[in-house]
Amino acid sequence: MHETRPAKITSPVVSLGNGYIRTIPVAAIVAAVGIVVSILFSGGLGARFMHAYLTNYAFLLSICLGCLFFVTIMHLTRAGWSVTLRRIAELYAMCVVPMALLFLPILITVLTSNDILYPWVDGGWSMGDGDASAQAAGFVNTLPVNERPPFEQLKYGFLNPGFFAIRWVVYFLIWGGMAAFFLFTSLKQDKTGEAKLTHRMQAFAAPAMIVFAASLVFSSFDLEMSLEPFWFSTMFPVYFFAGAVLSAWSTITLTALWFQRTGRVTDEITTEHYHDMGKMMFGFIVFWGYIGFSQFLLIWYANIPEETFWYNWRINYPGWKTLSYVLLIGHLFIPFLAMMGRTVRRNRNFMFGASIYLLVMHWLDHFWLVMPHYNHYVGGGIEGRGWPTFNPIADLACTVGMIAAFIAVFCVICRDRPLVALQDPRLGEALNHEVH
Amino acid sequence: MATTVDPHGLDNTYDDASKRTPLVLGGLDYQGVTETACGFWEAEKAPKIWWILLLMAMSLLGILGGLINHLLMSGVGVWGNNNPAYWGWPIVNFVFWVGIGHAGTLISAILFLFRQNWRTSINRAAEAMTIFAVVCAGMFPGIHIGRVWVFYWLFPIPTEHLAMWPNFRSPLLWDVFAVSTYATVSLLFWYMGMVPDIATFRDRTKSRIGKFIYGLLSLGWTGSARNWHRYEIAYTLLAALATPLVLSVHTIVSFDFAVSQLPGWHTTIFPPYFVAGAIFSGFAMVVTLLVPARALFGLEKLITLRHLENMNKIIMATGLMVGTAYGIEFFIAWYSGVQVESYAFWNRAFGNYSWAYWIMISCNVVIPQLFWIKWCRTTTWFMVIVCIFVNIGMWFERFVITITSLCRDFLPSSWAYFTPTWVDIGMLVCSFGLFSTLFLLFCRFLPVIAMAEVKGIMPRDGHH
Amino acid sequence: MAEKTNNDADSKLIGLLGQFDDPESLVAACNEAREAGYKKMDAYSPFPVHGIDPAIGIKRTILPLIVLGAALSAVFVGLGLQLYTNSSAFDALTPFPGYPFKISGKPIFSIPANIPVTFEIIVLTSAITTFLGMWILNRLPMFANPLHRISRFKRVTNDKFFLCLEAKDEKFNRSASEDQLNKWGAVAVEEVRQDLTDTDLPKWIPTAAILGAILLLLPPAAIFSQWGQTNRHPRLHVVPDMDWQHKFKTQTMSPNVANGRDEVDLLYADLRSARRPVDGAIAFGSLDIDSELNYGVKQDFAHTISFRSNVRASLSDDSKKDEAKGTEAGDEAPAAEATENMEQWVTTFPQGVEVTEDLLTRGQQRFNIYCAACHGYSGQGNGLVNQKAMALAANGDATWTSARSLHDADVKGDAKNPVGRIYDTITNGRGNMGPYKAQIPVEDRWAIVAYVRALQETGLKSPGADDAAAEETKDEKSEEVSEDENSEEEKSEEDSAEEETKEEDKAADDASEEDKTEQEKKDDA
Repeated sequence: MHETRPAKITSPVVSLGNGYIRTIPVAAIVAAVGIVVSILFSGGLGARFMHAYLTNYAFLLSICLGCLFFVTIMHLTRAGWSVTLRRIAELYAMCVVPMALLFLPILITVLTSNDILYPWVDGGWSMGDGDASAQAAGFVNTLPVNERPPFEQLKYGFLNPGFFAIRWVVYFLIWGGMAAFFLFTSLKQDKTGEAKLTHRMQAFAAPAMIVFAASLVFSSFDLEMSLEPFWFSTMFPVYFFAGAVLSAWSTITLTALWFQRTGRVTDEITTEHYHDMGKMMFGFIVFWGYIGFSQFLLIWYANIPEETFWYNWRINYPGWKTLSYVLLIGHLFIPFLAMMGRTVRRNRNFMFGASIYLLVMHWLDHFWLVMPHYNHYVGGGIEGRGWPTFNPIADLACTVGMIAAFIAVFCVICRDRPLVALQDPRLGEALNHEVH
Repeated sequence: MATTVDPHGLDNTYDDASKRTPLVLGGLDYQGVTETACGFWEAEKAPKIWWILLLMAMSLLGILGGLINHLLMSGVGVWGNNNPAYWGWPIVNFVFWVGIGHAGTLISAILFLFRQNWRTSINRAAEAMTIFAVVCAGMFPGIHIGRVWVFYWLFPIPTEHLAMWPNFRSPLLWDVFAVSTYATVSLLFWYMGMVPDIATFRDRTKSRIGKFIYGLLSLGWTGSARNWHRYEIAYTLLAALATPLVLSVHTIVSFDFAVSQLPGWHTTIFPPYFVAGAIFSGFAMVVTLLVPARALFGLEKLITLRHLENMNKIIMATGLMVGTAYGIEFFIAWYSGVQVESYAFWNRAFGNYSWAYWIMISCNVVIPQLFWIKWCRTTTWFMVIVCIFVNIGMWFERFVITITSLCRDFLPSSWAYFTPTWVDIGMLVCSFGLFSTLFLLFCRFLPVIAMAEVKGIMPRDGHH
Repeated sequence: MAEKTNNDADSKLIGLLGQFDDPESLVAACNEAREAGYKKMDAYSPFPVHGIDPAIGIKRTILPLIVLGAALSAVFVGLGLQLYTNSSAFDALTPFPGYPFKISGKPIFSIPANIPVTFEIIVLTSAITTFLGMWILNRLPMFANPLHRISRFKRVTNDKFFLCLEAKDEKFNRSASEDQLNKWGAVAVEEVRQDLTDTDLPKWIPTAAILGAILLLLPPAAIFSQWGQTNRHPRLHVVPDMDWQHKFKTQTMSPNVANGRDEVDLLYADLRSARRPVDGAIAFGSLDIDSELNYGVKQDFAHTISFRSNVRASLSDDSKKDEAKGTEAGDEAPAAEATENMEQWVTTFPQGVEVTEDLLTRGQQRFNIYCAACHGYSGQGNGLVNQKAMALAANGDATWTSARSLHDADVKGDAKNPVGRIYDTITNGRGNMGPYKAQIPVEDRWAIVAYVRALQETGLKSPGADDAAAEETKDEKSEEVSEDENSEEEKSEEDSAEEETKEEDKAADDASEEDKTEQEKKDDA
């Protein structure tokens, strides 16, 4: 039988120390270089770059939102085992505030009525349905609202730049407010150790979850579904959510492993935690597959043109077809089989690799959601062109740059803050956590 | 061991983050748990109220038999099903019951995987409820096929006579597989979980018949550590299998609707939305049954207020999920710009079935919000009322989905209004007779509390 | 207990059972026992006690692997079941043929739609494997366990904990082990003995088993006794109004609705129970206003034919003669007396009929089915029916007008027989030849026309005596109407060999014929 460990943090270092000072400039330089290279290779600040930017933005934002969900759900369920991991999630959730700044390029594009990203900012998108002649007639079509086709007039009630901007302000207020409340209350508890702060967070978590759910639903519509304003799927927010939570689980695991390898966190996070995180990742791999398959099956089976075309682009054209299979096999089958075993989930090296792998897959998922739209509207029609967006240097540079920017932001937020909740009343449970 | 119940000592709904709330009250030790859990079963005579309830339930069951006989002899015309509404009440009732049948496996499997220890006191009763609900659910499509005596055509059985196979691309056939798999796996799971407790009955019973039957059912269980080891792994495996299964069953039920092109049916959120609704109604049914049961069988120390409060919170959470799904559906119906889709939803809310829609909204979305108030979710009689409303609301949800969409499809000339007949109403009411009969018999003759599991989570000195 | 154990011959010592009051002392005792060198022991508890597995050296079970194997094989079973039952590809391999459904435009084997059932089969298989595997690995059910005879042991399912040191263990020593158990904190120690006097099955069990087996065999025996029997009793009608529905079936007479027995008062005076379609009603898909396609008549002359009245637009001289003989052709078209207007026939294939290799192949196939019986495979008028009929006619046993050779000079060519006229001949018949419009759909008639033109282009001549001799050698009637292309080709080749026009490769031939037909069309234009 195991000895019960005392419910307090014993190790001397639980912060980034000076690490963040060294990391921030390097990350900032990489970020700048990456973005510049990406702009150069995608031929200027045009549609190509903005789509790459949106892909990466959605990828990073979904990680932050997934971590915010982690914090909220753990409070909601009064979880004890995850206390030592919660701080990492709180810090990532806090990154949603600087993410608001990174949203500005997208917002500015929309507000300046520039339709390189969202076709609905101007009229004419419903005509021709992406056929080349309609585009030749002028992709930038600035019809006044009341002269647009009735379909566009209807959707303009929701999809218009002003309302879009207002919505995003509201989303960031909700997310930033939640993240700040959880992080600062938790930091306060590090000093005082009051149990009532936990009660306060628990009480806050329930209504916050409702607002969070609503904001997640509409932000996923706005961010990725409205890229193709024709298309609609009530399942889309759930699909976005499944990917977000899976990537958050992977990111938390990856960060925890990184902290432990660099000696910043020692025995606060144990193999038992990784085992549980592995289980959660496994669960959400299945959940992602379940949601993705259900959405596909319903649209495929009913075969209604206004829905099917979205999948048609992704599964019937060369390049995209391959990517769809890569996602099916790489995002579902391989991790499903690989993470089934108990032994592998308790292996830290495996979990390290699996986290990175799943993040790559999650990135591909967003690429798959965003990029066919570029092909369709901007790249000259998806038909017959295969994969015209293939521009690996632009994509890779943008990804590297944005991730570097994200790391810099994360380091700024971490600073010398403790990386583990120091005085949570349930700390003992987490330290003595044991998977039966 | 205290035998009288002190109501003030039984409130464990207070919250203290620094220590876990006990899940077994009254200072019960292992022996105490066994005796409390077996109390009702060991009683020489069942209380009068049990007999009265059983009599009522069996009367309803008898009427149900009569109604089925009437149906078989006269044909499905005795129902209110009409030309557009081919899926009348039988399918509404099927979806309603199969939804209720989700809570048990959810409590046993998902909460087990999430290590929610409070599940142990309620899981047995909930699993039993699951199986009985699935029995009720399976009955309805069975009789809805009209020619019940050829029900085996639903299964892929090679027959020279028929020279045909089922259509594997039909969601209705998926349903056959899903519901029968679910019934089988739930039964295995339930029985396997019960074996150690049946062994307790075997070792405590005094009657010879009891010794024989319980001895046979407990398979010679000794509680050996080697057996426990494999048993626990098998239990985890079954839980891991039952979790996706329980999701898949209601998902496939939702496919029955959603793969079609009918406005109001074809919407991609149906799978998770149906699953959330199933958990919602299932938990409501568990609370409705357990509150009287714990009072009747003296189980207040095992099924504590804390358990009920937790379930009420889950009811509230899933109620909100269902409410969110209603909202998303409405928004997308407008956003899609598809006329028939928008009309289908407008018609639900303001058309000739709006009464059903608003019953559904008020019972499913509005009334559960009372659980935000602590008094509401910790007062037993009040929570039962709320849960009954939830079940009414969930029945109406299925009614709204099934009937309004069928009665208002693409072709206005085929619009109609569905009116149930007395046979429809009788079958719904009497299906509760079938359900209650089985549940009452279960309470009297099988272990209602998973004793071995409750003992496993009791706090012990020297072991966390 | 004591009185049972006094005779060692009657019972065997299985082990020593030590009782403990709480799980911690049980685990501690297990650890002690392992350190003392015991290997064969088992602990018993009312619930799973954690930490006991390493203490008594329990290895992790292989059950998950077994289940994984079952799950993987269920993938193939599930997909295979659907692949087999919904396709006809495996009919030769299995006693029960598949049943290919064509549903909602989906492919016969459409993976997405097969996932749900496959998934359920995987879960079902895995769950049953888990359930059965667990009991089998645990060697349960086992009802005859000596432990159950110890009354103290009954509390193992309630609140007590036990450690059993087995007598088979090398370290086991009756008295030393008892001391050890006491030292490790056992509250009580007791012997576990197997009763050797009572090892036989109770006598009633074999009897009951045999009786049960017989009872179980009765239903299948009853079913098999009826196998292949004919039952003279009317079958059971479970729902009478489904079996006897209030409706008229096709081809039945109008019911008599008279009250009295002898009266006759038909519901419908015309004796039919079914009503005829309203005048001008057109069956779905049979709107034939395109006179070129449907009648082979130019649009300019369309007024001369009466659409959908099935009256022939024209009659040749031959048919007038036939009329006089009273053949059926005459019955059908009494009104059309006018001389044939050769201008009305279309000379090119109408719009919608593309002369392609596929069409010619189809035409050949249809020709060989419908036309070759009389006209012969090469169109020389020497079909088997014709030969037999001619032979009978020669004996005076029958009257028979010989089938025409399609290669006759007065049949060939656009002047005599433009494509429209050939089409009309197939549709409505000509002379002794009956109409084929009921048997052959429009597209196939045009295909035959194309094939006939192709045959005529081969340059064959009208048959000689040799031809008939060659045909006589084929006495298998069934082959004549066979659709089997091989036999058709054989025959065609034989026919052609007579005329020394070597047709080695049918496909190439068809292609060249097609070219010719194309050429014709151009010429016509």
